[in-house]
This record gives sequence, structure tokens and C-alpha cells, in this order.
Amino acid sequence: MTDAQQFESFLRQYQDLVFSTAMRLLANRAEAEDVTQEVFLKAYARFGELEHSPTVAGWLRTVATNLSLNHLTRYRSRWSFFSELFSGRGEDEHEITVDFPAPENVEEEMHAADRKVIVEQALQKLPVAQRVPIVLYHMEGLSYEDIAAKLGVSLGKVKTDIHRGREVLRKRLEPARAALTE
Amino acid sequence: MNPNPENELEARIDRELKSLSPLASPPSLAPRIMAAIAEQERAPWYRNGWQAWPLALRASSLVVLLALFAGLCFGGVKLSESKGVTAASGKVSGAFSLLSVAGKTLAALADAAVEVVRHVGTGYVVAAFAVIALAYAACVAFGSFYLRFAFSRR
Repeated sequence: MTDAQQFESFLRQYQDLVFSTAMRLLANRAEAEDVTQEVFLKAYARFGELEHSPTVAGWLRTVATNLSLNHLTRYRSRWSFFSELFSGRGEDEHEITVDFPAPENVEEEMHAADRKVIVEQALQKLPVAQRVPIVLYHMEGLSYEDIAAKLGVSLGKVKTDIHRGREVLRKRLEPARAALTE
Repeated sequence: MNPNPENELEARIDRELKSLSPLASPPSLAPRIMAAIAEQERAPWYRNGWQAWPLALRASSLVVLLALFAGLCFGGVKLSESKGVTAASGKVSGAFSLLSVAGKTLAALADAAVEVVRHVGTGYVVAAFAVIALAYAACVAFGSFYLRFAFSRR
């Protein structure tokens, strides 16, 4: 097998992991694809070391996380400004008007898709200021302190954003749970 | 004893999010990445970053850069010893003497301000600062109110 073939097989093995990490942080398919490409270009430059490394998945996740956060700060630097400005007030008002499934439609939705799809959609609909810390805390396993340092915001803001994000997720997922248990 | 609702919510959200499987990447992604890698491979070495250069080129470029740096340092020392540079540095120090005059003027103004404070009394100065601080706070408060009012009407 040539180097290119070996790398392609490596790429196919880990592409979903990298794409998911980027997609959950960015909530934008095109941007997540760009970040995934960037991650694998970096991986290709270090393929010799990574190929047999037992920590390759962790390395890929870390690079995908860092590049996604760089992408957010570089291209959407205004998000933190606006999130500080409204400090969740506007977001919460906005959340109430978001069209998440009404209880009577949930059962159909649960048959059509599945609960994981609804959770995934609810996560992706969260405002960026809540989604990013939620993903870093619950999915990437970072502590509140690490998240605050990575995002360059205060510890209090991280805790508040995560708390608000969880509340929004609860509001969105509760109807689905109720419909399931009926 | 009731469990802490915040901890319960955290545990529930944690369970929900950790149960998610990786998202399927689009089928076009792997070919796109392989094409980008092939394009990068085809590009001449000087188009890539320094870390991607061949080892010999990296080593020789490092030697050249070190030689340039040593040359610049040596040239700088020699230049500072030449007569032309000494004359130019005299002109520069003349310009700096203007700065010292400006500094003396500011110091004299500060002394005058201290004299005024002594003459008027500390109480008036404190009151003046309090009025300025209150005016600033009022500006911040009105500005915040206006901003919130303006955005709430969107």
C-alpha cells in the first residue's frame, strides 16, 4: 500500500470524528468541512508520527477543537462581543420563538428520525455563546477553568452560558421525552 | 432529601450528549481532502511553509539566516563607530532636548495645579471630582438604557 493509500485509509477511519467535533462547535456544514480539511492537512504533514500513535484520536480532536475555535474568533469575532452585550437576555428571548417540536408532533418525529437526531438538532440550534462551552464541557471533557482560558472569557460567564444552554436544551428535549413516555 | 436540580440537569444533559454518535461526514469530503493533499504535493517546495521544506534546504536556509544576522550585528557595530553616525546621533539628541523642554513645561503646569488646589481647598477639588464621576456614571447609565431600549424594539 502506498503512502497516499495508507493516508486515505487513515482519513476514512477518522473523518467522522473530526467532522463531528468541528460540526458541533461551528454548527455550519461548509465551515466544518473546511476545518476538517485543515486538520487532515496538518495530520498529513505529521503522518509518520501519527500513523501508529495510540493517542491519534485525541490529537485529531484537539486540533479540530482548536481550529474550530480559531475559526470562530477569526471569522465570527463579533459573537463574544454581542454575547457580552446581551449577556443571554436577547438569546433567551429568541429561544422562546424557536420552532422546536410541539408535543403532538414529537411522536411522528421520533418515528421519522430518532431521539439522537433531535438532540443533535437542539444542540446545533443553541446560540454560539452557549453551544461552544456546552460542547467543550460535556463532549470534549474540558473543565470550566480550561473553557474560560480557551475562550478568553471569565469563569462566571462560562458557568452562566453553560447553565443557560442546559436550560434551553431541557426546554427543547422535555416535549420529546413526554411524548415518548405517553 | 431532594437531589440538587442543577446537578440532575447536568447529569441528564451529559447523558444525552455523550450518547450521540459521530456525525457522518459528507461522501465528497475524503476525495476533496485527498485532492488538496495532491495539490500540496505538486506545489514547488518554496510555496509550502518552512517546516515542509526538504531537510537540506531547511538546514542551509538556517545557516544563511544566521550568517545574515551575524553580518547585521557586525555591520551595526562598525556603523556606530563611524564619524557620520556620530554626527547624526548629535542631531537626534538635539531633537530629544526638545522633549526635555516639553517635560519641564508640564512639570511647571503640574506645580501650578498643586498651588491652585492649595489655594481653593481640598474640599472643592473632591467635590469637583465627585461631580465629574457622577456625570460619567449618568452617561453610562443613559447609554445602557438607550442600547437596551433600542434593541428591545427590534
